[in-house]
Amino acid sequence: MLLQDENLWYKDAVIYQLHVRTFCDSNGDGIGDFRGLTSKLDYLQELGINAIWLLPFYPSPLRDDGYDIADYTSVHPAYGSLQDFKDFLTAAHNRRIRVITEMVVNHTSDQHPWFQEARSSRENPKRDWYVWSDTDSRYQGVRIIFVDTEMSNWAWDPISKSYYWHRFFSHQPDLNYDNPVVREAMWEVMKFWLDIGVDGFRLDAVPYLIERDGTSCENLPETHEIIRDFRKRIDLAYPGKMLLAEANQWPADVRSYFGNGDEFHMAFHFPLMPRMFMAVKLEDRKPIIEILEQTPQIPDACQWCVFLRNHDELTLEMVTDIERDYMYDEYAVDKAMRINLGIRRRLAPMMENDRRRVELLTGLLLSMPGTPIIYYGDEIGMGDNIYLGDRNGVRTPMQWNGGWNAGFSSADPERLYSPLISNPVYGYQAINVDSQRRSAHSLLSWTKSVIQTRNAFRVFSRGSIEFLNPSNHRVLAYVRRLGEEKVLVVNNLSSSAQAVELNLQMYKRHIPIEMFGRNLFPRIGDLPYLLTLGPYQFYWFRLRRI
Amino acid sequence: MAEESFLADDFLRQLMSVGEVDLLVGIPSYNNASTLAQTLQSVEASLRQNFVRERAVILNVDGGSADETRQLFVQSAERIDAGHKGLTSLRTVHRISCEYDKSPSQGLALHSIVAAADLLRARACVVISPTTTNLTPSWVANLLRPVYRQGLDFVAPLYVRSRFQGLLARDLLYPMCRAIFGQRIRELYSEEWGFSGRLASQCLEKDVWHEEAVRARPEAWMAITAISADLKCGQYFLGPKTASPTGTGPDIVEAIRQTVGNFFWCLETNQANWLSRSNSQPVPTFGPDHELSLDGIPPSQEKIFDLFRSGVSELEPILASILAQDTHAQIEAIALSDRSNFHFAPELWVKTLYEFAASYHHAVLNRDHLVQALVPLYRGRLYSFLLENANSSAEAMETQSEILCQEFERQKPYLIEKWTAKR
Repeated sequence: MLLQDENLWYKDAVIYQLHVRTFCDSNGDGIGDFRGLTSKLDYLQELGINAIWLLPFYPSPLRDDGYDIADYTSVHPAYGSLQDFKDFLTAAHNRRIRVITEMVVNHTSDQHPWFQEARSSRENPKRDWYVWSDTDSRYQGVRIIFVDTEMSNWAWDPISKSYYWHRFFSHQPDLNYDNPVVREAMWEVMKFWLDIGVDGFRLDAVPYLIERDGTSCENLPETHEIIRDFRKRIDLAYPGKMLLAEANQWPADVRSYFGNGDEFHMAFHFPLMPRMFMAVKLEDRKPIIEILEQTPQIPDACQWCVFLRNHDELTLEMVTDIERDYMYDEYAVDKAMRINLGIRRRLAPMMENDRRRVELLTGLLLSMPGTPIIYYGDEIGMGDNIYLGDRNGVRTPMQWNGGWNAGFSSADPERLYSPLISNPVYGYQAINVDSQRRSAHSLLSWTKSVIQTRNAFRVFSRGSIEFLNPSNHRVLAYVRRLGEEKVLVVNNLSSSAQAVELNLQMYKRHIPIEMFGRNLFPRIGDLPYLLTLGPYQFYWFRLRRI
Repeated sequence: MAEESFLADDFLRQLMSVGEVDLLVGIPSYNNASTLAQTLQSVEASLRQNFVRERAVILNVDGGSADETRQLFVQSAERIDAGHKGLTSLRTVHRISCEYDKSPSQGLALHSIVAAADLLRARACVVISPTTTNLTPSWVANLLRPVYRQGLDFVAPLYVRSRFQGLLARDLLYPMCRAIFGQRIRELYSEEWGFSGRLASQCLEKDVWHEEAVRARPEAWMAITAISADLKCGQYFLGPKTASPTGTGPDIVEAIRQTVGNFFWCLETNQANWLSRSNSQPVPTFGPDHELSLDGIPPSQEKIFDLFRSGVSELEPILASILAQDTHAQIEAIALSDRSNFHFAPELWVKTLYEFAASYHHAVLNRDHLVQALVPLYRGRLYSFLLENANSSAEAMETQSEILCQEFERQKPYLIEKWTAKR
C-alpha cells in the first residue's frame, strides 16, 4: 500500500497525551476545558510536540474517566461545546499540531441511549446491538481484565432479566460487532469526527470486539475483518488519517493488527515499556534487547507507538510473573501504588525524582524506533497521588505555576475535579511550567531540546535500528540509520560510571558528533571505540563521513 | 619497574564489562569440552530458577585446554524454551573466560577466581567442576544459598560415599582437621564448594599463591583460612557424585602428597590459630551430615599389605627420624604380624600422624620426602580398616569413624607437645 509521504505524518510525530479535564480550566468551574486547552497550545508548540492525543471528552457518566461514553458525537458539557472543540482543532492545525481522539469502539456506557433501548425489552430493535445471554456460563475461561473490581465478564440486567457481556467494568456493556448495523453506526461516528477534521483515532480495546465460544475472545479473525473494513473506508474517504490500536498483547500478537498494512497504521508496543523501567533498575540492557528481538517486522507504512507512562496504570500484563514481582518490589513497594496488574505512578516519582534517570528514560523513548508519546506533566516531572483511588492519582491538574491552583483554574480549590499535587517534592509550588521556563537547565528546557533534536533528524522516526553488543551489559548502544543519515546512541543504564568499547568497524573513518553540544569526538579508527559514561548518562552521536 | 599482574589485560577488560555482581560461579577447566556444555546448562538453570534477580557471572578459568573448551564455553548458547515469551532471566548472566596458564593448576585457577570475585565484589561464589557428570541446578544453588542468604563464608559439599570411597578423607584428613582446627567439616578436599566474597578477598591478600601446596589443592587451605579467621563455615549435603573419566584423580602417592602435604603446610602456616584451640564443634549442616552407601568394591587387600610391610622395612631410617622410638617400634612390630590378624590401632595411627606433622614442622628432612614416607603407613592403616570392615554395616563404620575422631581430639595435647618441643 503506497502512501504519500505527508500521509505518513504519524511516523514523524511526537505525541503529547492529555485529558482536556486535566489541562486548563478557562471558566473557573474547576474542570479543564477546550478553551483552556486552546490557550495552552503555544506551550505545546514550544515544547516541540506535533500531535495531541486527547483522552475521551464525550458525554459520559465518568465512571471510567470517560471511557464509558454515553454520546459519541458530542462534547461533555463540562469541557465546553462542540464549537469549542472545533476552535481548538483549528488552532492546533494552525500550529501544525495534529489531533488524535479516542474512539472507544468495544463498549459504551450503560447510560448510552443504545444500551438503554437494548435493555428496555428483548424485542427492541437495538437489542442485538449488545451481547446478551440467559446464562453467565458462555465464554467460560475468558480472562477478566479488571481483576480488582470484576468477578465475571457477565453482568445481570434486572430490566430485561438477562446477562450482558462486558470485558471491562460492568457499567460498560460490549457492543455486538457481529451485528452489521453496529459497525455502520460506529463508522458514522468516525465519519462525524473525521469530517470535523480530527487526524486520527486511537481505537480502544480492539482485541475484544468479537466473541466466540471456545476461544479467549481476543484477537479473533472476525475482529481483524472489522478493522480492515474501517481502514478501507478511511483510506478511500479520508486519506492521511491514522488509526492507532490499543492492543495490550505480546508484539507477535499485536503484529496481526498491522495486517498487510491494511489494518492499523500504528499500535502501542506495550511490552517494551515495563522493560525500559526494568532495564534501568536492573542496570542491564537485556530486558530491552530481548523484547525487541521478539518484536516482529511490521509493514513499511506502519509504526509502533512507544511510551513511558500514560493515563492508565503501568501495565504489567505483558510480563512474566517473575518480571511482575520484580517491578512491584522495585517500583511499587507501597501496595497503594498497585492497581489491577500494574503500577499507578508517574515517571518522576518512579525514578525517585532522579533527574538523570528521567532524562535517560526520555532519551531512550525518543531515540528508539517508534512514535513516542509523552504523557502530560512528565515533561516537568510532575508527581502523583496514589491515595486518590483508581488511576486518578496520575490524572491530577497540570501544574502551570506556583500560584492559585497551580494556574490550572481560578475556582476555589475545593471545587477542582481533583486535588492538586501539593507535597513539598512534587507539589505545584516546586514543580511547575513557569518556574521551569525560567531556567535553561530545567527538565522542561531539557525536554524541549531533546524533542527539537529528534525532530531535526528523520532517522529517529523512520530509520532502522542495529544494536551493538558491547561486552558491558550496563550499556545499551544502537545505531539508527536512514540512508546516509546515521546516529549512534549510547546509554549507560547504571548508577555508576562505565567504560565501554564499541565495535564500530562498519563506521570506520566516520566522525562522531555529539548532537546536543555539537562537539566532535575522535574519528572512528581500527580499534574498538572507547567511551566512558557517567551514571545514567547517554550520548547521541551523528556519524558523519567528511 | 612496574609490578607484573597475573591478570591478563583481556581478562581485566572482561571483568570491567561485567561490573559488580552478587554471585560468581567459577568453573576451572582443562580439556573438558565433552562435559562443559552440560555443566553450563545446569549452572544457568540454577541461576534462572534460584537467583533470578541477582547479578551473576559465570567464570571459566582454563589451564591451557587443547580441545576448545574455552571456545565452547563462550559460544554455547543459553537454552531457551521454544515459544518463550518475556525474559529468559531478568538479567544478563555474564559469561567470561580466561586462560590462567598453559598447564592446569587448581591453585592458579582459584587465584583467578578469587581475584575476579574480589574485583567484582561478588557476595557469594561457588566453584563447580566440569568433570562432575551428575551436577544438577540444585547443587549450585545449595552451595551458593547458605553464603548468599545466610551469611556463611565457606560451604563444603557433602556427598553420599560408598563404604570404601574417600577413605583418606575419613581416616585421616577429616578427623585430623576436626581435632586440630575444631570444626567438623567432612569434605575439605572437593571439587565443588561455596565461599563468600569476604573470604575471597582475604585469600587474595595472602602471599601464598606460589606455594606448591596451594597450587595443587587450594580448597582445604581456603577452608582452613576461613576457620582460622573465625569466619562461618558450613556444609551442604548434595547427594551422590559421579565424575567423568578425566576426573578420577591422582594415585594414592600423589593424593597423599597433595592432600596431606597441603594439610601439613596449612598446619604450619596457621599454627598461631590452632595451637590454642581445643575440642571440636559441629558446623551448620544442611541435610544429613553423612551418608554411606553399601555398594562399592573394596580394593585388593593383598597388595596393600605387602606394600605396607616392604615400605616399613625400606624406609626404616627415614621413619626412625620422623617417629618417636616407641611409635616406630610399634609400627615395625605390627608390620611383622600375621596379615590375617593385622591391626593398626586408632591410637597408634593418631600418634603416628601427629609425629609426622610435628616432624614436618621441625623439617627433620625434606618435607616432600617426609610426606611420601607416610604412604606405606597409610596403606597399613587402610589394610587394617578393610580387614576389619569387610562386612560392617554403614552404621558400624560410622561409629568407628567417630571413635577415631575422638581419639584424634584426645591426643591433640600430644601433638602440641611434639610441635612446640625444641629440637
